[in-house]
Amino acid sequence: MKRTYLAVAGASVAIIVGACSGSSTPSPSGGGGGGGTAVKVGIELPMTGGEAPNGVPTANGVALAIDQIQVPGFTVTINQQDDALNGKHDPNQGAKNLQTLANDSQVLFVVGPYNSNVAQAEIPVSNAAGLMQCSPANTAVGLTKGDAAKALRQTNPDKIAYVRVATTDDNQGAGTADIAYNVASAKKAYVLDDTQTYGKGLADGFTDAYTKFGGTILKRDGVPDSTTDFTSYVTTAKSLTPDVVMYGGVTTSGLGLFRKQMAQQQLATIPFVGGDGIVDGSAATASSFLNIAGDGDMNSYGTVAAIHDIPNPDKFASDYKAKFSSDPGSYSAPAYACTQIFLQALQAVGSGVTDLAQLREAVRAYVADTSHTYDTVLGKVGFDANGDTTQHTISYYQYDSTSKDWKFLKQRDFTAEPVQ
Amino acid sequence: MTTAAAAEPQAARAPITLGRWGTPIGLAIALVVGYLLMVIGAGAQGQEQFINALTIGGIYALIALGYTMVYGIIELINFAHGDVFMVGSFVSWWLLTTMGFSGPINDPVVLTVVLVIAFVVSMGVMGVVGVVIERLAYRPLRNAPRLAPLITAIGVSFILQNIIFVGISNSIVPSPQIIPNPLLTIGPIEIRLINLFVIVLAVALMVALHLFISRTSLGRAMRSTAIDREAAQIMGVNINWTIAMTFFIGSALAGAAGVVQGLYFGVTVFNIGFQAGLKAFTAAVLGGIGNTTGAAIGGFVIGFIEVLAAVYGYGRWSEAAVFSTLVLVLIFRPTGILGQQLADRA
Repeated sequence: MKRTYLAVAGASVAIIVGACSGSSTPSPSGGGGGGGTAVKVGIELPMTGGEAPNGVPTANGVALAIDQIQVPGFTVTINQQDDALNGKHDPNQGAKNLQTLANDSQVLFVVGPYNSNVAQAEIPVSNAAGLMQCSPANTAVGLTKGDAAKALRQTNPDKIAYVRVATTDDNQGAGTADIAYNVASAKKAYVLDDTQTYGKGLADGFTDAYTKFGGTILKRDGVPDSTTDFTSYVTTAKSLTPDVVMYGGVTTSGLGLFRKQMAQQQLATIPFVGGDGIVDGSAATASSFLNIAGDGDMNSYGTVAAIHDIPNPDKFASDYKAKFSSDPGSYSAPAYACTQIFLQALQAVGSGVTDLAQLREAVRAYVADTSHTYDTVLGKVGFDANGDTTQHTISYYQYDSTSKDWKFLKQRDFTAEPVQ
Repeated sequence: MTTAAAAEPQAARAPITLGRWGTPIGLAIALVVGYLLMVIGAGAQGQEQFINALTIGGIYALIALGYTMVYGIIELINFAHGDVFMVGSFVSWWLLTTMGFSGPINDPVVLTVVLVIAFVVSMGVMGVVGVVIERLAYRPLRNAPRLAPLITAIGVSFILQNIIFVGISNSIVPSPQIIPNPLLTIGPIEIRLINLFVIVLAVALMVALHLFISRTSLGRAMRSTAIDREAAQIMGVNINWTIAMTFFIGSALAGAAGVVQGLYFGVTVFNIGFQAGLKAFTAAVLGGIGNTTGAAIGGFVIGFIEVLAAVYGYGRWSEAAVFSTLVLVLIFRPTGILGQQLADRA
């Protein structure tokens, strides 16, 4: 009995020691086949259902960059995660996905997420793991600025593990206000939001800037994001007779349905302004805002929190089309830029280093360093001490009935032309 | 649980009986109060908001009827019922799209024929689906502890959602709105055709159900099974058939609500069943679970609460308002507004 017990104990110890030793340290000869050390870039985006028009083109931007750019000494592949498994982006799923990516020691960098409330759930995770995230599309102010942002970085308050190439909703809100007041010439607005992080923040940004321009806010309403029956709000709009309706939110919170119901009540002549949550594809793209709103598409305006006039637009568009047989999405280029930033950082810190944990931290520190700038498809990009991009440009779009798609109007750099 | 409740004096839980005119008078008072609240809150648009509330209330009421009928007869909260409504909207979407329609039909004869076909097919299909679900998932558990069929119902709900999610679409599906949308003026009332259609249909179906339950022999069988299953069986009622028919009718009404969803909102998604089911269940409990008139009234009350919340600027709180009303009613009148009508186990 005693001898059997000792034998079993000895065997278990041997197994445990054997398992532990083999895992984390990579062999000095590197990942096989002469390609160098195998590393991964993680993608954390909403890829399914109603979110596919947002997430899929963005993820394609990352894939295109990996294809086109090589870093000597490294083979880079993708670890893709989806936070919209139930058809709508889910912060809990996002946090779980980021933990999965953090546990994969080969992942040195994550591109994502797309939605600001998902980022709120993910930043504590990436901060604790020291894994740098670059979001191509998050715009909520509290993710990087102010006490709210500090509270997200609970584990390592002074370590920045989250940067973004999209500018913030104080600028995007100002952009929507600019459209409403100057482009649509509207002096009175009815403002709604979907009570979520991004939507409410955007509507707040709009309200601030719009009142600064001189406009009046007739009413401000919060609508739960699971609403499908907007008839009471459309009737309210009818009674207020605003010159413009602004709605902060994303298509999966029902904005397309709202605009459709406005059209059903013969209110499609009132201009509708949204943020980047509604610029998610043409009227032919399934589940896009334009597709759902139908007759309400006319007089619709949207924004994108990214520069439109990129240095080489035709080359990017043709490369993207050659690989994916469709046109790039609004955030394909920013996602490409995030990947470029990663690859440039990897090139700068990676030579001779094979320890994955060391690489992860080195990449994070390099990107968090505000003195570094990157040559990307968006032009020259840098980050400030909070992780925000130095490009404060918002692009304006209007629905065009001939192409049945969003048409670029103009862009505004809010550093050069701030709202007074 | 039930025996303890039955031990309490029955008088404390008696349903409201105000004689023959009680219900119509109560309804009239409620409608006037609702209208006044709308006008106070929304001024010139009060009438329109009132109609919005009646329309969405009608949809909730149709779904609530199914919940209450099933609970009344076998004391099961059929969590899959909201998803029966959702599948009904997809059946109607498929039918209208396959028949080639995508917009309003202006010819009244064609419109009527198409509507009749859509309703008959959707209601029939969903009725059959309801019977199949009952036969496969609930009947084997009829004598099991109450928790078992409850969990099964949740499972059926997920199955239905996933069948649509994987089989048809995981995002918003536009559905043909074949009823044209002119603004009609009937005396002092301005109402859109689609709203009028929904309200009239909902009321007509509810009246038909009420007449069915109170005047036909199958209705009598349902009532007696609900009151005392064993006694009904002794008196010659075929219990299995009666329960199956209850499911058929309840699910058919949910199917009708599904057709209305497509016609009124013009879209359907795989996950509308959950929200709608939750609110309809609230409506059923609010009105008195097991009581079909109560479910109908409860549905309209929920519709009004939602719209009033938006009118008075508390749109953010509309869901909280609906469920708070439920909590308050249950605290002060646990059997619901019109009182429960459940099995007498004494």
